[in-house]
Amino acid sequence: MKIPRLVIVGGKLALICTVAAVVLGLVNAVTAPVIVENRERALAEGLAAVAGKAGVSGAHVGEASPIADSPAAQTAYPITGGNGEGIGFILQLIGTGYGGDMQLLAAYHPTGELFSAQMMENQETPGLGKKAEAPEYMDMFIGSGAESPIPTSMSDLPASQADAITGATITFIGVGRALADGSELVRELEGLSEGGTQ
Amino acid sequence: MSDVVDIRPGAILKNNLWSNNPIFMQILGICSALAVTNLLTNTAIMTLGVTLVTGFSSLTVSLLKKLIPRKVRMIVQTLIIAFYVIIVDLVLKAFLPEISKNLGPYVGLIITNCIIMGRAEAFAQSNGPIVSFWDGITSGLGYMGVLLVMAVFRELLGFGTLFGYQIMPAAFVPWTIMVMPPSAFFLLGLIIWAGKTMMGGEKA
Repeated sequence: MKIPRLVIVGGKLALICTVAAVVLGLVNAVTAPVIVENRERALAEGLAAVAGKAGVSGAHVGEASPIADSPAAQTAYPITGGNGEGIGFILQLIGTGYGGDMQLLAAYHPTGELFSAQMMENQETPGLGKKAEAPEYMDMFIGSGAESPIPTSMSDLPASQADAITGATITFIGVGRALADGSELVRELEGLSEGGTQ
Repeated sequence: MSDVVDIRPGAILKNNLWSNNPIFMQILGICSALAVTNLLTNTAIMTLGVTLVTGFSSLTVSLLKKLIPRKVRMIVQTLIIAFYVIIVDLVLKAFLPEISKNLGPYVGLIITNCIIMGRAEAFAQSNGPIVSFWDGITSGLGYMGVLLVMAVFRELLGFGTLFGYQIMPAAFVPWTIMVMPPSAFFLLGLIIWAGKTMMGGEKA
């Protein structure tokens, strides 16, 4: 019996795909645990870095709580001082940048005032939006969120800071909006926890 | 002019690095040339990835050329290229996470680099595996050379640094245009003009 040509071609393609899939599976089996470990280490270092700027000795980051019903925030971590008093929250935020989603860690006082933030995973343009990974980039947002709103457009910034974000405005707006949403969420969380203790 | 390709290693090297350079003679791989060349480190890692993917894709295509049905060869070539790019991406994410973070989406975009498919189709499909591997590697090196030259100018004038080390004096005002894609267009145009003028054979 003659095997149809279509079956032969299909069989060869299936064989090549199978070999490729098996080898990629093996490579993934080797690299996946290392990638997960890298992510966890980066998260732990990020949490320690942002909590460390609370200005309180012995600041401790509590267990993660998932946040439902918020497009910007994924997880909240309570921060407590050495005596167990509540200092604020760290939120794991998602902003939209030039290259898609940007993950941020942001620490707020219970009033919603941002006191520390750090850019995590992102796909922003090297040399432009990637500048948001520099710790000093977040200086333009720190201290706002309670008495003054978090800047979300270039017009909210003084001229010197506006010049610094030239070429990466979309990144700035994405970061600003995510941080502003986080600030609002912290005030809601604080309102809920106060309500719960009354 | 003869259509016979000289497959001696020295001739392939000279051809791919200079007389038939993929960037300034074949005008291939231009998108990534514009995208990644604003920092030398990123350019070096990205072009190393392209070089390895081109070499191993050509080797694999050459080894499998008798097995691959002619009518579906381009699908298989794309699969082979994607296979190597995924491996490069996973290895970078696992063992060089900082570099992977800096390169962002550009690693995945190696798949779309025309040089890789071009060498697979034009050379590996009709030559032996070792010489195809050499052709792929040297094509990648030709691409790497041009992009590194562009990156030197862009990082130096755009940031005042080379490989992140401050080179220009503190009083130097960085040229923001140099870190943006339009500057790569101008530089690439100049490189194509300079390369073709030096060869003297074609109108720039």
